Amino acid sequence: MTGTAAPAALAAHATLAASAPGAISAPPIEYSQLGPMLVVFGAAIVGVLVEAFAPRPARRGTQLALSLGGLAAAFVWTVVIAASRQVFANGSPGHTAIGGAVGVDRPTLFIQGTIVVLAFISVLLIGDTRFSPFVAQAAAPPGATAEQEGLAAGAMHTEIFPLTLFAVGGMMLFPAANDLLTMFVALEVLSLPLYLLCGLARRRRLLSHEAAMKYFLLGAFSSAFFLFGIAMLYGFSGSVSLAAIASTAASNTSNSTLLFAGIALTGLGLLFKIGAVPFHSWKPDVYQGAPTPVTALMASCTVVSAFGALLRVFYVAFGNLTWDWRPALWVIAVLTMVVGAVIAITQTDVKRLLAYSSIAHAGFVLTGVLAVSTAGLSSALFYLVAYGFTTVGAFAVITLVRDPGGEADHLSRWAGLGRRSPVVAGIFAFFLLAFAGIPLTSGFTGKFAVFQAAIASGETALVIVGVLSSAIAAFFYVRVIVLMFFSDPVPDGPEVVLPNVFSGTAVGVGAAVTLLLGIAPQPVLSLASHAANQLFVG
Amino acid sequence: MTGVLAAGTNTDSVAVETVFWILAVVAVAAALAMILVRRAVHCAIMLAVVMLCLATMYAMQGAPFLAFVQIIVYTGAVLMLFLFVIMLIGITAADSIVETIKGQRLAAGLAAIGLLVLLALGIGHAAIGPAAPPSPKYGSGNLTGIATLIFTTYVFPFEVTGALLITAALGAMVLAHRERIAPRPTQRDLAARRLASGQVVGDPPPGIYALHDSADRPALLPDGSPAASSVSSVLNPRTGTEPPQVVRPGEKPQLEAADGGEREPAPSAGSGRAES
Repeated sequence: MTGTAAPAALAAHATLAASAPGAISAPPIEYSQLGPMLVVFGAAIVGVLVEAFAPRPARRGTQLALSLGGLAAAFVWTVVIAASRQVFANGSPGHTAIGGAVGVDRPTLFIQGTIVVLAFISVLLIGDTRFSPFVAQAAAPPGATAEQEGLAAGAMHTEIFPLTLFAVGGMMLFPAANDLLTMFVALEVLSLPLYLLCGLARRRRLLSHEAAMKYFLLGAFSSAFFLFGIAMLYGFSGSVSLAAIASTAASNTSNSTLLFAGIALTGLGLLFKIGAVPFHSWKPDVYQGAPTPVTALMASCTVVSAFGALLRVFYVAFGNLTWDWRPALWVIAVLTMVVGAVIAITQTDVKRLLAYSSIAHAGFVLTGVLAVSTAGLSSALFYLVAYGFTTVGAFAVITLVRDPGGEADHLSRWAGLGRRSPVVAGIFAFFLLAFAGIPLTSGFTGKFAVFQAAIASGETALVIVGVLSSAIAAFFYVRVIVLMFFSDPVPDGPEVVLPNVFSGTAVGVGAAVTLLLGIAPQPVLSLASHAANQLFVG
Repeated sequence: MTGVLAAGTNTDSVAVETVFWILAVVAVAAALAMILVRRAVHCAIMLAVVMLCLATMYAMQGAPFLAFVQIIVYTGAVLMLFLFVIMLIGITAADSIVETIKGQRLAAGLAAIGLLVLLALGIGHAAIGPAAPPSPKYGSGNLTGIATLIFTTYVFPFEVTGALLITAALGAMVLAHRERIAPRPTQRDLAARRLASGQVVGDPPPGIYALHDSADRPALLPDGSPAASSVSSVLNPRTGTEPPQVVRPGEKPQLEAADGGEREPAPSAGSGRAES
């Protein structure tokens, strides 16, 4: 990395034979275009140093400021790159940076910007220590004296902040990765901190441990499948670069077995992260067991990031093979929508309910992916923004409805909440209506956009299934609203705490964006379609 | 990528082929054994066998560097750490294999066999071309080739792997390290605490001034009062212990006071000390 960058060093490794034996000419590193990711990773590393050197009372404030500052700087930097004349000169779709490992293009920047903003809100929830959902001492066994001592002393794992930032950095790299090796590293970088964070819930710790363990084991399996798929694709094309796979797939039609096996296995790894239906079984348990702010982070940022990576792989590497993967993905999309919506009906836990709702929403976004067009891409991007803000807001509301022992997760505890705290129940009802896709909410605009794109691509049957499962989903959302407003309050029911700056901002931003994207979606829609105007660079 | 790593010279193809088939059988058998044996230690050893077989195959493909890294780093370091951990947790620890969902194991087995057949058929039918000839641009050693890839094309993922390592270290700290909340008491603190408690010397050991040697009899303090802390908290201390009698020569010691006597079937059972 040191040394002067040769002007044409992008192709340097191809011409190494000409240079002196043993000499490696360093590739150019476009620091300005990798800036957002480098800022987030840098803030995470500084956070680790803060853990090592700052005195304990100063750590939480420093970490919070560092995390929020890093994410804000990353967002500003992303916007600057997106507006840059230099990167997108003369209608260029962007280019690849740092030896072709990272793609800098408009869809990626849109996704990265979305991830950073949603992560900012999630970090606000994580930093809300009033009723900290995080364990005081993770090393103390549940129920041990040491746990009580830690709680009494107000101990806190401030390592949560750098871990979150590492996860966010991985999430930003995941959709930007332009070769499968980088994508795999990004997948691990984003997953490993999440496995950890899932196990750090303060209350019902065994459930939290179970969630972390399940997520870790199943995530490791899916990563192994993804890696196996990479090996297949490498065997097929002799390269891990997405563009090289695409060009080999276009020219070489004889040896497609390896290619199809590779598509299936890499697709499996990506669909696992999204929570599409045959690979969804981790989602309810993990969403329920994880601390609610971490659930909010996973439900918003991870889903956005994984969809970004899925879009990039299927549009860039397998873009010419639409006829081959579309039927399989079609079946998965239908299963995801229907199973997510139907099983959600039977849920009695709010977080599990939202987990199944998240599965169903993944199916709706897959509808946009299946359109395989710029309209499909832009509608999927819009849907991800809309869903991300709504879900962060909904989980923020869940942190506010509390029993003496923690959050009031069981749905029966929410009965009659609307009579006791009409504002909070009203906002939650609004989020649920947005999930259901009622007009004047962002959910309606999002669903309309993806269904429109799918119909334009001739996927009418898929849209019919989508509308039907929306109707099923609306049933259980409305059931919760009826429960909140038209049933008698439970005696000594949960207390609704007043939101402070942190949770208030999260709820407020979530509700405001949900409303705005429902009433006046045009700016974001046009931003998404502008971003998707040119597909990912290869 | 592995094209570079495997770039080398194959000397004797027949010998290589023979060794490959021997190693392949050993490796697959060891891999199967790894998931079938019950003891974690045996699993780790089987994994070592798989890794050594792979290392040999790398060497045969003309990738000596990769082979040595495989042996030194994976088999030597990582796997030995596995063994350490298994030894620390307990060598006899075995996983519970109770099926929580009925028929799960059968269904998983069938699905696994199905995937295996599908993949085997797919890969078996795939026409994999001959290996690429050794590329002259990386010279004879593949070390340069790996370095070139790591520091040019894959420099970013290589650097980002650092985030993974930091996460792992940080995570291990979070999950395993317990921070001391109260400061550790020094010797001075302990002494001050003892003085403040009013009892400067420790309790008398059991047997001093005692009339009985039963574990549920409290020891007696010099003033004759029972020391409650001398009986384990799980026992019910027998109260009413009498002060020591002075037994003069010629007198018969008075056995077993009236209190607690009904709890003892044999009068001499708990009074060995007094009799001696």
